[in-house]
Amino acid sequence: MDWLGGWLREIILVVLLAAFVELLLPSKSMERYARLVLSLLVLLTILSPIISLLKGDAVQELGLELSRQERSGGLFSGGKGQAESLEQILADGMKLAAGQQSRSLELAAAEVAGQMKDQITSETGERGAKVTVTLGMSRSASGGEEVPVISEVQVYLPPAAASGSAVPSEAPDAEDSEAIAIVPVEPVEVHIGTEPTSGGDAGAVSGPADEAAAAEAEAVIHLLENRWGLEPGVIRVTGNADSTSDKL
Amino acid sequence: MEMIQIVGIGLLASILILVLKEQKPVFAFLLATATGILIFLFLIGKIGVILSTLEKVAASSGMESIYLKTVFKIIGISYIAEFGAQIVRDAGQESIASKIELAGKVLIMVLAVPIISIIIETVMKLLPA
Repeated sequence: MDWLGGWLREIILVVLLAAFVELLLPSKSMERYARLVLSLLVLLTILSPIISLLKGDAVQELGLELSRQERSGGLFSGGKGQAESLEQILADGMKLAAGQQSRSLELAAAEVAGQMKDQITSETGERGAKVTVTLGMSRSASGGEEVPVISEVQVYLPPAAASGSAVPSEAPDAEDSEAIAIVPVEPVEVHIGTEPTSGGDAGAVSGPADEAAAAEAEAVIHLLENRWGLEPGVIRVTGNADSTSDKL
Repeated sequence: MEMIQIVGIGLLASILILVLKEQKPVFAFLLATATGILIFLFLIGKIGVILSTLEKVAASSGMESIYLKTVFKIIGISYIAEFGAQIVRDAGQESIASKIELAGKVLIMVLAVPIISIIIETVMKLLPA
């Protein structure tokens, strides 16, 4: 829905801008030509979901094309065009590489999230945990090369599974009946700061079910930290669907 | 107030040009050009206000800046072409004026080429092979 809103807003803005610019144009003779370009822009905005689906990043391509036009334009720019073209090619390559890198980071993040989910399922018996991983680039300590690091991990444990953590997953029927008994579990959100062993936020833990959920979250955090060698502040575990629905 | 100033400058310049034209047509042309540039400079600040407002609105609402850049280029090309063509037309060179206008039109069309190519490629991909 968010995407739809953004798309509509962009269409409305481009149409308004086109109407306004048409007023701003100096003469009738230019108007037909300017109107053509403006209507093409409106068309491009309307088609942008299809374009991004079929073709990739159209806006970036447009920007590259325009900057190329800017640099090669003019009668008298032939002499230095040669020297600039190498820089231009390098800059274009950097831009394209940045786009590819972000795409591959997204893919790698999805892969890592899937592996983390499998580990959580196999180690703690949790089912239905959702893991969202955000990767970022940072310089490694030894070299100047930029390497991808895990900058944020969000784990969403479903409330029923989190509350039934005391019962292992070998007894699914018992767990189900217990889960029904403890349905009115208060939403618990556990933020783990720099001290992961401190037992979670004491203020958020108010009942035995919450404590069980907190212990479960703690276990998940320990597991992920040990397996992936993460910094303590990176992992966030939420046991509430409402607090994570905007993230997922 | 500014409108009165601009009209005053215009009237003054046209009277002077009428006088000068009998004696020195070249200087009359120079005066006309200078007056045109002066009025244009008056307006350029106002156009800047409009453009910066558009830019602010677009930035705050997350519109792609490349669209705005294209639109601004259209405005700039058409104003400059129009201005140059009018000056040259004042000097009596109708043919050169129309060439300047042609250049403006072609440059605006060149701006449309990347957009057209993206749209056409997308449409071709939509069509069954």
